[in-house]
Amino acid sequence: MEEVLRRFTEVSTDPYTSLTKWKEQTGKKIIGSFPMRIPEEIIHASGMLPVVMWRGNEAVTMGHSYVHNFNCGLTRSFIDDAVRDKLTFMDGMIFCRSCLQAEEIPSTIELNAPPRHFLYLYLPPLYPGSAFRDFFIHEMKRMKESLEEWSGQEITKESLENSIAIYDKNRSLLKKVYELRKKKPGTIKAREMLAIVHSSMLMDKEEHSRLLESLLPELEGRKEITDDKISVIIAGALCQTPHTAILDLIEEAGMVIVDDDIYIGSRYFANEIHSSGDPLEALADRNMKKLPPDPTMGDWKTLWTDYMVDKVRENKVQGIITLLIKYCPPHLCYYPDIRRRFVEEGIPEIMLEVEHEVVSIEQIRTRLMAFIEVIRGGV
Amino acid sequence: MAQEFKIDRLETTRLIGPMVDKHWKGLRTAKERGEKVAWCSGVPFIFAYAMDMKCHFMAGYSAYCAGRKAGEHVLEIAEKTGELQDTCSYHRLHMGMAEAVKRGYDVREDVILPIPDLMIAGRVCPEMSHYAEALYRKFGIDVVGIDLITPYQESDYPFLEKYLEQQFREILIPKMEKVCGKPFNYDRMSEILTVLKKTATIRNECLEYFKKVPSPWTLWDYGVSLAPVIYLMGNPESIPYYEKLKAELEERSKNNISAIVPEEKHRVFWDGWLPWGFLGHFSRKITSYGANPISGRYPWEMFPRPDLIEPEPDPVKTYVKALYSGGMLGNNMAKPGLSLVSEIIPEYHIDGLIFFTAKSCRIWKSQLTIMEKMERKYGIPGVTLEADMADSKMFSEAQIDTRLNAFFEVLEARKEKRRWV
Ligand code: SF4
Ligand code: SF4
Repeated sequence: MEEVLRRFTEVSTDPYTSLTKWKEQTGKKIIGSFPMRIPEEIIHASGMLPVVMWRGNEAVTMGHSYVHNFNCGLTRSFIDDAVRDKLTFMDGMIFCRSCLQAEEIPSTIELNAPPRHFLYLYLPPLYPGSAFRDFFIHEMKRMKESLEEWSGQEITKESLENSIAIYDKNRSLLKKVYELRKKKPGTIKAREMLAIVHSSMLMDKEEHSRLLESLLPELEGRKEITDDKISVIIAGALCQTPHTAILDLIEEAGMVIVDDDIYIGSRYFANEIHSSGDPLEALADRNMKKLPPDPTMGDWKTLWTDYMVDKVRENKVQGIITLLIKYCPPHLCYYPDIRRRFVEEGIPEIMLEVEHEVVSIEQIRTRLMAFIEVIRGGV
Repeated sequence: MAQEFKIDRLETTRLIGPMVDKHWKGLRTAKERGEKVAWCSGVPFIFAYAMDMKCHFMAGYSAYCAGRKAGEHVLEIAEKTGELQDTCSYHRLHMGMAEAVKRGYDVREDVILPIPDLMIAGRVCPEMSHYAEALYRKFGIDVVGIDLITPYQESDYPFLEKYLEQQFREILIPKMEKVCGKPFNYDRMSEILTVLKKTATIRNECLEYFKKVPSPWTLWDYGVSLAPVIYLMGNPESIPYYEKLKAELEERSKNNISAIVPEEKHRVFWDGWLPWGFLGHFSRKITSYGANPISGRYPWEMFPRPDLIEPEPDPVKTYVKALYSGGMLGNNMAKPGLSLVSEIIPEYHIDGLIFFTAKSCRIWKSQLTIMEKMERKYGIPGVTLEADMADSKMFSEAQIDTRLNAFFEVLEARKEKRRWV
């Protein structure tokens, strides 16, 4: 078991090496896709490997000349990697709009370090009206045609259905791991969970599913941590990995993370497809689902705060930790409502601002200890 | 002693204040007259105007409120009610204003906005949709959402136009009809566009005077003249305003009068937003070096191609075309922006580039890349100023001064090599 987890961790912390190796072994192409909304299945169906763009493992250096330091960590770090030629194994890159920084990264990359294949998608918001779903399908067709033209390989209905099934299977396995964590809190450490989900974004999906299948029974055999821990969920962290050091701190402080609402977490594998009709429409329907609520593209009637409160209640946790990526506008704009709502509900909540480089561990530790006091005081 | 420079102000621009005041007063007092009010982000406000609904325009109001020096007070209210500092100051201004009006906080009367009956959430960025969403969540205000995509490249215009037209016809127009209880007034929309076309045509003639060396006017003058080509759209006073402006520019031009006196030493390009809350402050700073900001990307956002506007027979179609094919929605994106800047520099005899970067708004894409490419292509220097449109807490005066000093020193040193004149 340790071996599978070690592998997942290696992939998550150093995708550069693992992807370069994978490419050498398979001779296949790799396509980076911008986080959160791009249907990876279409890339997979073209015989290439989709990987979700990540926040790198080094501080930004050369990137400073290309992107302002008040952009979020993911955009700064990815641009830095690209201009330092750390991403040459990525044959293509597909971007989509979600926030203004997500709209800026494609042109900065295309004008300074263009990949061999490049595509920018305009994915619509989840507003009411058929125009938005129609447009999503339009964009899926554009993506399919552009990949077909570049790879020379047709994406058939069958290949797309097959890819959807492969992705659905991985989603259902990840869901099982999450169910297990909910049932037996503490059996899976937060940093392990992050590695499990993150590696799924960076590996061949079938291989990831195989490894997960071998891991699951062993995880089930782990002992539940029954000592007096405070149960919490973590939420936020759009697009990018939160720091494992922060996840460790939360646990070391005496809390146990029972569930989450973060992208490199439960948001990634939410909503299986089980397509029977037109696969592109099925992909559109998955992506146009209102839940989990999407603060970058959501509609006004689906309240993120409702979803979070439900998660707290369902999991019967004692508090919620918001991980707010510094300079992430969709989350920053929403946060006042989140704060207000949790105060109204009487649910303890704390917001930790996280950056790409500097993490003030000591300060976070102190704040977490104070948070625990609040919870205990409340109890 | 260092040479002293100042701006020789235009007479015509003095007329803009009353026009703008009248507009915002009309909005402020609409409810007293039993009229319905909308708030709108982005360009769909024309649909409210066509229905005789008073409508605010997010960026226009923000500029007005900040320009009136009431912005920072409203921002403080926003902060007190929980808004976070790093979010867009326009977003915060609106959150602060809504809270102030709803909860009766003291705000200067001339910048008060009435709480709307409808939010038209034109979505250029998540901040725009969030300001509408937050008002729905807090106060239950009715919202209609329209996706206003900024185009990555020109080849995407045809399908983006189709998508926007579909939204206007299937979503916005039926909503306006429902809210106003009457059929959509296509004829009124055509009338508004007829006035806009005429105004923007004369405005383009005025922009030609920027090419003159020395220039008879400054970007600051044009900045305060933007309302007639955007949210005063359809107001018949817009046409005489620009006619008068053009006559004054022609007169100055004939007499070789420079807007910067005693002489126009540097002609600079200004990228990004205008700092509405601190326009006088920034213009004095730039002027003190004898520099005139001649052109930028932002000024070119306001219907640069009036020739494409055909008010009849289909005002909706032509409006959409003016937005995309007409180059209005794309200039803030890097690729269309790069081509525009590339043309502006030689045409307007620019000898230095200032990139104004709002920390809380990343709409002006890839500014560092554009700057670097233009520096290389034309051999002219560039500088970035990190600041904000409305919130002075977002910038460091000292850092801006240091950067401007260094930038103008370089320009000074290269003066002999100025390539355009
Ligand atoms: S949504 Fe947030 S994390 Fe994602 S790209 Fe935008 S700013 Fe970065
Ligand atoms: S982020 Fe920029 S484009 Fe968006 S509302 Fe704010 S000022 Fe406007």
